[in-house]
Amino acid sequence: MSPSLSRWLWHAVAAALLVTIGSGLYLASKRIDYTWRWERIPQYLISTEGDDQKAPFDGFVAVSEDGRALSMTALRGAETAEFTGFSRIVAGNGDLVFEGDVIAKTDAISAGPLLVGLWLTLKISALSLVFALLLGLIVGLGRVSKNPAARDLAAFYVEVIRGTPLLVQIFIVYFFIGTVLQLSAFAAGVVALAVFTAAYVAEIVRAGIEAVPKGQTEAAQSVGLSGFQTMRYVILPQATRRILPPLAGQSINLIKDSSLVSVMALTDLTKAGREVVSSTFSPFEVWFVVALMYLLLTGVLSVAVRRLERRYAVQG
Amino acid sequence: MDQPAAVLIEARDIEKRYPNGVLGLKRASLSVKAGEVVVIVGPSGSGKSTLLRTFNGLEAITGGEIVVDGHVLHQRSADLRALRQRVGMVFQQFNLFPHLTVLENLCLAPVKVLKLSAAQADERARVLLAKVGLLNKWDCYPAQLSGGQQQRVAIARALAMQPAVILFDEPTSALDPEMVGEVLEVMKQLAVDGMTMCVVTHEMGFARAVADRVIFMDGGEILCEDVPEAFFGAPRHERLQSFLRQVL
Repeated sequence: MSPSLSRWLWHAVAAALLVTIGSGLYLASKRIDYTWRWERIPQYLISTEGDDQKAPFDGFVAVSEDGRALSMTALRGAETAEFTGFSRIVAGNGDLVFEGDVIAKTDAISAGPLLVGLWLTLKISALSLVFALLLGLIVGLGRVSKNPAARDLAAFYVEVIRGTPLLVQIFIVYFFIGTVLQLSAFAAGVVALAVFTAAYVAEIVRAGIEAVPKGQTEAAQSVGLSGFQTMRYVILPQATRRILPPLAGQSINLIKDSSLVSVMALTDLTKAGREVVSSTFSPFEVWFVVALMYLLLTGVLSVAVRRLERRYAVQG
Repeated sequence: MDQPAAVLIEARDIEKRYPNGVLGLKRASLSVKAGEVVVIVGPSGSGKSTLLRTFNGLEAITGGEIVVDGHVLHQRSADLRALRQRVGMVFQQFNLFPHLTVLENLCLAPVKVLKLSAAQADERARVLLAKVGLLNKWDCYPAQLSGGQQQRVAIARALAMQPAVILFDEPTSALDPEMVGEVLEVMKQLAVDGMTMCVVTHEMGFARAVADRVIFMDGGEILCEDVPEAFFGAPRHERLQSFLRQVL
């Protein structure tokens, strides 16, 4: 058997195993008498539900024969009203309606709760990542600093953050810091995620810097570069290449960790999933879709980073 | 022009004690005059590289005093930048910047430290690359060069700062044998041009041919120094005699 054929065979084995596990799960769900209702999911991704047109006063509805014109005359008084711009009339000709009743609907395509949640997850992750990278770089440089105070502070920060659960940190930021500084839930979420991720970024930065041979620092200093210039022009450019792959992993972690902000009053993808479950009673479908949407985000990011890595790997 | 040559490096009783209490250098004294080529030889672990590295502050000293081109170095010297601009260094492992091209390696410090314009630095770099015979490699990355070529670039990089003295720390020890010659040739040319050099090496042929003085170190001490003819022809020190018997 040729090596490439045998390799394909093993890939086929893996695929077969996955299919087996998948159908096993499917059969198991059959046995617990679960009705799959996938058709309920799309409306929570893309909503066609538009605005309602409501009766401005109590009165009778008049619909023209072709069904295009809608008007109302008041029950008391001589008030009349014409309605335009609707897609569907829900009231019937001659109906008596009261103020606030829906008499017509406008169809409009808009993002459903799941997509809105995905957008919030994306926003909060991206913003946190930017701050986490900045803060992580600073703390990481502090870890390798010659100044003992900077080293101590950076080490203290990393130990405290890595030694406590993110969920607890989110509660502290939201309830304590958020209250003291009057932060919105969104700002508190960004702060908590950025502060948490920065500790890990700092360790990645430190490892990347320490992996650059000592001779590089010596050579840079021997030609008269200052400490800052040595870092900026010699050490960091070389460390970047080593830092990039673990940083990508950390960014993916950040996106996944962002699901924890749903404990604050933030409707991110996870919270949106929970809300959709409570209105559809279809937890299986919803959570699979939510997982897939997270996978989409992290997948795009990991492809992008692989590209970036390849570009940095060109030199030596 | 008949003034006595200025002393560029004056080391007095320098001592290097490591944190674990081991003495790396014991009261070593040495002076190097402008235009001189001083070669330091000795067995491994004799402290010769350590001594060399104290001259630009890469190795801190715990006693004594060093005056390099007017800059005083002692136990608690903090600002070494001004000194390092006057003292070039060539390393055993070349230590070129791998993420920069050959030309960028030469231009980095002149632009960032001496504040030359890019064009000035570029011009200076090209002259120096021509001098070490590597002008055609200006656009290469260090990894694309042989060890000998990398070391010649490293020498050019040190020269780009126009130092008063260049320290060579076993410049040929990491090279394949067939590349040693090209590097020594560049160093000989530098010596002929009147560059002040301080060289730690195992190349006895180079020491004999180029050195003005040869220094023998063992156990962190300078045991003797002499002109090459006497050093190799009639070694007086007993320890030096046995060392020379082994290496020659």
